[in-house]
Amino acid sequence: MAGTKRSWDGQPLQDEPNPIATHTTQPPQQPPTMASAPPAAEEPPANPIITMFETFRDELDEHHDRRERLIKISRDITALSKKIIFSLQRIRTLPTPLPPSISKETTTRFAQINTLFQSALPEFQHPPNFWRYQRSLSPGIQEFIEAVSFHHYLTTQTLITKAEVAERLPAGILVTDEDYLMGLFDFTGEVMRFAVTGLSAGASPCGGQGGKQGVDGDGDGDETETGTEIAIGKKLPTEQAGIVVDLRGMRSAFEGLTVTRRHTNMFRDLGKKVDVMQNSVEKVERAAYGILVRGSERPKGWRPDLAVAAGGDDY
Amino acid sequence: MIDHAIFEDLQTKIDEEARVRDDLHDIVQTLARRGRSTQAILSRAHSTPTDQLKPVLDDATKEIIAQRDEVARLKTVADNHPFYKYNGLWTRELQNLVSSIELCAYLGGLEEYKTNSAALFLTIEEVGKFLGVPVNLKEQDAFHLTIEEYLLALISMVEELSRLAVNSVTLGDYNRPVQIGNFIKDLFAGFQLLNLKNDILRKRSDGIKYSVKKVEDVVYDLSLRNLIPKGSAAA
Repeated sequence: MAGTKRSWDGQPLQDEPNPIATHTTQPPQQPPTMASAPPAAEEPPANPIITMFETFRDELDEHHDRRERLIKISRDITALSKKIIFSLQRIRTLPTPLPPSISKETTTRFAQINTLFQSALPEFQHPPNFWRYQRSLSPGIQEFIEAVSFHHYLTTQTLITKAEVAERLPAGILVTDEDYLMGLFDFTGEVMRFAVTGLSAGASPCGGQGGKQGVDGDGDGDETETGTEIAIGKKLPTEQAGIVVDLRGMRSAFEGLTVTRRHTNMFRDLGKKVDVMQNSVEKVERAAYGILVRGSERPKGWRPDLAVAAGGDDY
Repeated sequence: MIDHAIFEDLQTKIDEEARVRDDLHDIVQTLARRGRSTQAILSRAHSTPTDQLKPVLDDATKEIIAQRDEVARLKTVADNHPFYKYNGLWTRELQNLVSSIELCAYLGGLEEYKTNSAALFLTIEEVGKFLGVPVNLKEQDAFHLTIEEYLLALISMVEELSRLAVNSVTLGDYNRPVQIGNFIKDLFAGFQLLNLKNDILRKRSDGIKYSVKKVEDVVYDLSLRNLIPKGSAAA
């Protein structure tokens, strides 16, 4: 009773020493509440509540520290993935092996990302931890999926599967359906940017690495009177027509997915992502239309106006 | 070329997960319904003098034990899946249940589950033992009661107790506010030891000081008027 109170009065963290102490029923000696011994074992008998909370504090500190380490790793992975995406956006042709300079850069960055994922592995040593901290690492994983699927698309012009993504990650890092799906949504935004720049660069003689592309694009620019869907398939350079078809395919596939309200997190993110994705597809469709209809009239260096084309710059 | 099998596969996975969520949700709903009736019974304590509390506590214990069965049912289903993937579905109801258990224990119920019969609350281990679930599992992916859930439940109990302190006075019991005041001050001191981040625990535990103040005001009013019985805890 009084003895209990006195002993923890002296504790440095005790803000409010409470001289009127002693409520009747507090047990003076209660066994430590959790497996680990209290850190201040050398001090005389501690208040059981304080002892209990000291154990909780240690547990919570461990949790917060781990969480923060993972958030940092996730941010670093995001930054590297964005850099990969930027260098990939400088490519003009597909599907081809990447130009050596870009290939070298992305390989290095993918290796760096792999190291980062490796450094996250010890945190997931215990089974419950992966799902406990999944949300801390998830932004990085999603951005990585965006980069890796874009890379995959540029080299093979196919959509990367979840298994293929998993192969590029250390075994301890799971690819959740949610991360995979959200990564693919962002991937459509990158394909949109790629297609729109490609369409405009195709007609421009000084269009950078798009040498081969430039010839095709010029040829197509002359056919101005057709703008129907069939015409796009026929008159656009095949690879870009392919992109438009692929984007449309993805759009309808995404729209076909049913996610119920019960998937709290996924449901919340999905609405926004679908909007952005639909916009992206429309931008490419409008850009393709613009190239066909007004192709020969546009000045050198002209680029489709993204903001006007689909009424937003939200990618 | 877009391989549509990818999306069909995704849809299958999403549907499977939706089924798991539906199953868990059904159990949690039952738990919630029973939880509300437990809380309704326990709130009778606000209008019942201490010496007549026994029937209230007996009723509450009966409901709490019924909820325990639901937790067991939840545990069998949840144990088939990663714990933290679905934890969010039931954490709220589990917290409410633990908070009812703690309140019931404070009022003198659930005696046989206390290691120390004089204790005012159940430790996380005691709660886990009572519910038949492990606590704070760190190395094994199975259903358990987390530290956060336990702490949030304690906070709910503190809020309820501060209300009880006021209502005790109305019932003519001038002793109980003093006891409650001492108890929640101890808990408050405990919460101050935690290094909280900007999360739900931080937000909720910020509220404890208001509960403490509320009870201190009651005790102040009583002592000012010499209403606190001599020989009581903090006279």
